[in-house]
Amino acid sequence: MTNHWIDIKNADCIMIIGSNAAENHPISFKWVNKAMENGAKLISIDPRFTRTSSRADIYAPLRSGTDIALMNGIINYILQNGLYHKDYLVDHTNAGFLVNPQFGFKDGLFSGYNKSQKRYDKKSWQYQLDEKGIPKIDKTLEDPNCVFQLLKKHLSRYTLEKVSNITGTPVEKIVNIAKTYGATGQKGKSGTIMYAMGTTQHTVGTQNIRTYAMLQLLLGNMGVAGGGINALRGESNVQGSTDHAILFHILPGYLKTPRSENQSLAKYLETWTPKSNDPKSANWWQHTPKYMVSLLKAFWGDRANKSNDFHYEYLPKVGANYSHISMFETMYDGTIKGLICMGQNPAVGGPNSRKERKALHKLDWLVAVDLWETETAAFWTDPEADPKSIRTEVFMLPAAGSVEKEGSITNSGRWSQWRYQAVHPPGDAKSDLWILDRLYKELKKLYAGEGGQFPGPIVDLNWDYGQGEEPDVHRVAKEINGYDLTTGKLLPSFGKLKDDGTTSSGNWLYCASYTEKGNMAARRDPTDAPNKIGLHPHWAWCWPVNRRIIYNRASCDLNGVPYAPHKPVIKWTGPETKWVGDVPDGGWPPGEKYSFIMKPEGHARLFGFGLADGPFPEHYEPLESPMKNMISPVQINPATVIWTNEMDEIGDADRFPIVATTYRVTEHWQAGQMTRNNPWLVELMPDMFVEMSKSLAKAKNIKNGDKARIITARGEITAYAVVTDRFKPFKLNGKTCEEIGLPWHYGFKGLAKGASANVLTPHVGDANTMIPEFKAFLCDVKKEVG
Amino acid sequence: MAEKGILFDMDKCIACRSCQVACKQWNELPAEKTTFFAAKGGYQNPIGLSPKTYNLVKFYEEEKDGRLRWLFRVHRCFHCVDPACVKACPVEPVKAMTHHKELGIVYVNKELCIGCGACNEYCPWHIPQIDDNTEKSTKCTFCVDRVTNGLEPACAKACPTGAITFDDYDKIIQMAHQAKKRLEAKGRHPQIYGEKELGTGTHKIYVLPEPIESYPDLPKNPKVSEDLGFYRELLKPLGSLTLSAALVGMVLTKVIDMREGKHTLASKEEEVTK
Repeated sequence: MTNHWIDIKNADCIMIIGSNAAENHPISFKWVNKAMENGAKLISIDPRFTRTSSRADIYAPLRSGTDIALMNGIINYILQNGLYHKDYLVDHTNAGFLVNPQFGFKDGLFSGYNKSQKRYDKKSWQYQLDEKGIPKIDKTLEDPNCVFQLLKKHLSRYTLEKVSNITGTPVEKIVNIAKTYGATGQKGKSGTIMYAMGTTQHTVGTQNIRTYAMLQLLLGNMGVAGGGINALRGESNVQGSTDHAILFHILPGYLKTPRSENQSLAKYLETWTPKSNDPKSANWWQHTPKYMVSLLKAFWGDRANKSNDFHYEYLPKVGANYSHISMFETMYDGTIKGLICMGQNPAVGGPNSRKERKALHKLDWLVAVDLWETETAAFWTDPEADPKSIRTEVFMLPAAGSVEKEGSITNSGRWSQWRYQAVHPPGDAKSDLWILDRLYKELKKLYAGEGGQFPGPIVDLNWDYGQGEEPDVHRVAKEINGYDLTTGKLLPSFGKLKDDGTTSSGNWLYCASYTEKGNMAARRDPTDAPNKIGLHPHWAWCWPVNRRIIYNRASCDLNGVPYAPHKPVIKWTGPETKWVGDVPDGGWPPGEKYSFIMKPEGHARLFGFGLADGPFPEHYEPLESPMKNMISPVQINPATVIWTNEMDEIGDADRFPIVATTYRVTEHWQAGQMTRNNPWLVELMPDMFVEMSKSLAKAKNIKNGDKARIITARGEITAYAVVTDRFKPFKLNGKTCEEIGLPWHYGFKGLAKGASANVLTPHVGDANTMIPEFKAFLCDVKKEVG
Repeated sequence: MAEKGILFDMDKCIACRSCQVACKQWNELPAEKTTFFAAKGGYQNPIGLSPKTYNLVKFYEEEKDGRLRWLFRVHRCFHCVDPACVKACPVEPVKAMTHHKELGIVYVNKELCIGCGACNEYCPWHIPQIDDNTEKSTKCTFCVDRVTNGLEPACAKACPTGAITFDDYDKIIQMAHQAKKRLEAKGRHPQIYGEKELGTGTHKIYVLPEPIESYPDLPKNPKVSEDLGFYRELLKPLGSLTLSAALVGMVLTKVIDMREGKHTLASKEEEVTK
């Protein structure tokens, strides 16, 4: 979230799209309800009428996988009807920036597409620069090559009728949403967008989010109270895991993973440190060398120094795609021999889970660390498996639950909150930290004793978490914050980090979280800040530097006057008293530096040239779709990798005419190991089910409570049928199209057993992130007989 | 302590069922063995109140005038201002169905309860459920053990959205009217339920965002059975020491009838839910 949970209460309009917040983030409705009490409107956009929709002023259905078409249509309406916030566009976004005249778009493809490599050469997706190397800007927004005009042209194709034909959303609903949400473009008003996996889990997931970000920029909703682009994270600590680099393409603090061509630290820093010739651009990532060197110092301590390049050579260099799908494809073909699975259950949660379960069969060894024996840990007991033919050695390590250990979690609003151990874990269960500490120490012993291929990174690792039975979690937190190595003192903030080896920080974004003043994440003072917008700055700690709403310089005009004086995030009060309110995005006086400090050009990007699949969002159909793309001849995202290995079958609309999507319910959590073993929750949601419209049920002779069979190109499952008005068939260009929905929590272990929806989902991912396309695929439905 | 009330602003409810689980947790009630939720309206489980379930979220799906609504209602004891169940309770001189008049709470004293089922029979909503194993009546206790110790009921504590609010009764009534006004301003047709019902009202107050017809199992005009007066007369001698054996026999027969009647009524409630 650019903002945070409490801040939702400040919104004048709330759009929940690609999210079922009421069911999956119930606490958010404390703040949604508060906003609504103050007159805010709630819009729920979802293929299915959900418990979120039940609260909404406007509910609009859309066919799964067509978010871009809908949002482009809404933005087009906003542009055509002048609902945007013009001052904001000129002062804070790249709307006026002139783009290389070579840039173009034709027949569904942007300029620079290489068909054989399925990749874009992005050379033409650049700004025009002046003689000083600074981007040229037309503040009137009238130059035909400026971003604003290019955007208008690109989106003009998304007429209401066309959008309605693609999405199945009625025209009057689209207009109603555009007008209602568009009203937040007025100065002083704000709207928030709450989204989750319904947005991201598509082959166009990143561009889906781009459309939301662009809508927010056009309406001046970024950086303001009650605004922002708010990803509701699916697990309590997903934000923390991401910050600390759980994904393969980043190091802690969103530093780039070294690529194979970055063979030296100098080469790495030259490649990944952005430059700007504009003195008004803060270009914050210019500090990359300080953060990177401090990270290497945290990793390898005294052994890392200038003469050995701070042991940069110890970092793995990425030469291929190591995303989830790719990893399981590689496991299936026998290349990966061992897997440590901590708190993850891909046999239920992974896409195309029949294939992923089969991939586990090929492992020599599997270590499963979890609270229960999951379907992954017990994959050889899968009814489809033949245990006699499986040679995998499985190690089951019982883990401590979240209340059985001490440490921090970082919530969606970027708050790092310290938690204490409430009870001891049962039996032999151990904390993750204990398990990793023992594993590391054993590995170090082996490498130190036997050498091996590349012992340095392990043997030289800075590993100093005390001598107790349980590693000292405070030492870990302090290492993450970082030290001044000349004094041994904890650093007060990342402003003090250096690139000469005299500072360390395990994650520059968390530098300021655990200082000489103490553990900031453990603070519990609920007092609000004087601007009374619910910042509560002394409750826990928030990255970066306790800034509760990021990009907050954009909440003010160039004189530092808030657009919304009744809910100011920050306000300039003169050279003596400076900014008051939230921690500003840099303390410079207003107008001295641009507001979007993380971008080298200092402006938020309506034209986003960093992505793999285009600088503007363009609608492409999901990999499996019932419709031909109606907006261009390019059917699916042209920059997405399509796997064509064994068990990667793709279904077509002739055999599989029904759209299917997956989701979660309040009563169960993720792959279900924590909730399908809890009798009280099993009581509420005991069985796997499929939701379908009355018309589909009638056509298939299925009654509420019957068992239905759902079939895709990759597998089939049975589930109880919920026949409901909450699903309605879509009218798509005169054709009727049905959609069904499946919760994905169930598996063959636990108290509540049921078929896994992911048996049905495809092994394909987003062009930028490779997040799997769980949310839109094709199926057929039959009545289960007998 | 002042008279207490509990507000169920069903407009703010998202049917997360935290209250249902928190109730089980605080009262140490076991899970029921359930199967797929075939109840009308979708996700509801279990099917009705029971000795293991004092608090149940009900789901109502309706399409009216082209508008789909998915409504929710937290179902449980109303804690009447003038509770018929207490009047009906035959145990004397100290009633098993206990009325904490100061707080406005009605709860079962399990030590005294004989499991006769009269409380269910005479409850206008047939809420109390008799546990056949322990032969005791069971129902929402208003978390009397928490409230008398300065804590809010478990359901109100657990509710994440502000749909369940525990406070002084007067404040609850005020809040209900504010919520009603807020909904009316949005063009809805809300209804307060519990303030005036049965003449003297209940300590559980609903704000229903839609007219009561949208909640088909909730009686529009709940009434205390007219034969409660007669029944009480009949029971009077039970407390006296001069009770004749014949009369004891008669009362017990009546009590047994009640229990059977209770079973019929409980299954009637289930039928409505289905």
